[in-house]
Amino acid sequence: MKIILYRIGVLVALVLIWWFFSTIVERQLIPSPLATFHAAERLIAEGRLSTALLDTLTIYIGGYGAAILIGIPLGLLMGTARTLGKTLDIFIYALSATPRVAFIPLIIVFLGLGASAKTFIVFLGAVMPILINAYAGALNSDEDLVEMARSVGASKSRIFREIVLPGALPFAITGLRIGATIGLINTVVAELYTAVRGLGGLLAIYGNTFRMAEYFVIVFTLAFIGVLVTTALRLLEMRLERWRGNGA
Amino acid sequence: MRSDAAGGSAPKSPIPTSPIIEMKGVSKGFGGGSGERVAALQDINLELTEGTFTAILGPSGCGKTTLLRLIDGLVQPDAGTVRVAGHPPRPGPEMGFVFQSFRLIPWRTVRGNVEFALVEAIADPAERRRRADRYIERVGLSRFADAYPRQLSGGMKQRAALARALACEPEILLLDEPFASLDAQTRELMQVELMRLWSERKSLAVFVTHSVDEAIFLADQIVLMGPRPGRILEVIDVNLTRPRWSYDVRAEPRFAELRQYLWERIRALVLADPQSDFYGRDEVQSVSTGS
Repeated sequence: MKIILYRIGVLVALVLIWWFFSTIVERQLIPSPLATFHAAERLIAEGRLSTALLDTLTIYIGGYGAAILIGIPLGLLMGTARTLGKTLDIFIYALSATPRVAFIPLIIVFLGLGASAKTFIVFLGAVMPILINAYAGALNSDEDLVEMARSVGASKSRIFREIVLPGALPFAITGLRIGATIGLINTVVAELYTAVRGLGGLLAIYGNTFRMAEYFVIVFTLAFIGVLVTTALRLLEMRLERWRGNGA
Repeated sequence: MRSDAAGGSAPKSPIPTSPIIEMKGVSKGFGGGSGERVAALQDINLELTEGTFTAILGPSGCGKTTLLRLIDGLVQPDAGTVRVAGHPPRPGPEMGFVFQSFRLIPWRTVRGNVEFALVEAIADPAERRRRADRYIERVGLSRFADAYPRQLSGGMKQRAALARALACEPEILLLDEPFASLDAQTRELMQVELMRLWSERKSLAVFVTHSVDEAIFLADQIVLMGPRPGRILEVIDVNLTRPRWSYDVRAEPRFAELRQYLWERIRALVLADPQSDFYGRDEVQSVSTGS
């Protein structure tokens, strides 16, 4: 409970600092908290925010969802079938070390500027940490527990389901969390580089025209999405890992 | 021939039946590839009969754990044959394995851990649960059936692991230094506990230890092993009356005699082992012979 009070304290302090700078920086390059609030009211009333939000979330959820559906099974498969994993992992690491922005022109050539190109850019960013962490989780399965399970006569599939999979869970969730953040970044990047739409699109428009109050509203909306997703993942983690005793 | 015996009493099992566990000329090495393959066990010949409690005693590096793994069928020998009840061993509910580091599944409760071992043996979940609870009760953990391993002390964890191994009601119980990581008091109490549990249903037990006292206290016969390569040196009958918790076994002359003999032999083995920290240090005094 105390933590929540402290957090509110920090929030108030940040708003005060923001307000202070908004009064001293010239030409209203920093909007005041109140002006930002009014801008938010306007954007919501006009329906611009909800339209852009819907656009962005569709791209984000589509790309992130696909990254989960492909990254987790592929990572677990690579970690379990060791030869396959050892063969492929160097390519995965190479791909993940390449800045994904480098692929955007290529993606535009093949998929155009629409939703499918954007979704693919999000997918490409999110899938790497998800895959790599699921792979690491399966690789790190407790050999002692696996041998114990073998000694009671457990089948390979039961060892996978009941020992390897739960053991990989903390890694997998870390991957989901990193993937969620990178996915959100790539959503905005995609909206800036391809057809200018969604929250990223509004960011570009308001930034280029110095409408800083509106610009700030969009930044806060993106931050809010980020907080929402990572908090949801943390709750999921706590629920799945009650045995660690940091939940109930 | 039951051993490459160098002296010692002729090995005789208390119950003269056909052997359940039979090892003939078994060798097992590790490593290989570019490096040299290290022999963990060399030419092991061993026969163990029904209802006996055997301690495998020896300093570290003599392949005691490998021996248990071979019996359980977790690893295969490089040479020779292992037979359990006449067949090549396969891991399963017929053999219970208790590990040194407990190996409880951290995300399962005590009951969940015991049930885990019963899936192959008992198809009905309700029946499985009843069986698990019965053995949890037998090791005195009923109050902790719903606790997770991290909530248990070392002794309680090993009780849970013991319940898991016993719950299958195995014909053969394999124990790999199960009490080595427990403190001295807990260790002695667990030894008595194990004796009680074992005497309720005398399965064939093979208990690996490097503690001379533990071996004498628990076993009907002691298989003394030497290191590098791991080999059997001698099989010794303990010949102490059971149940041994009902009197002070450690005060018996036979206990002292065995203890001194085994201790001297192990000390000589350790001093002659180039891999040991005490290699060649003849001035190291034996501290524990009681002579």
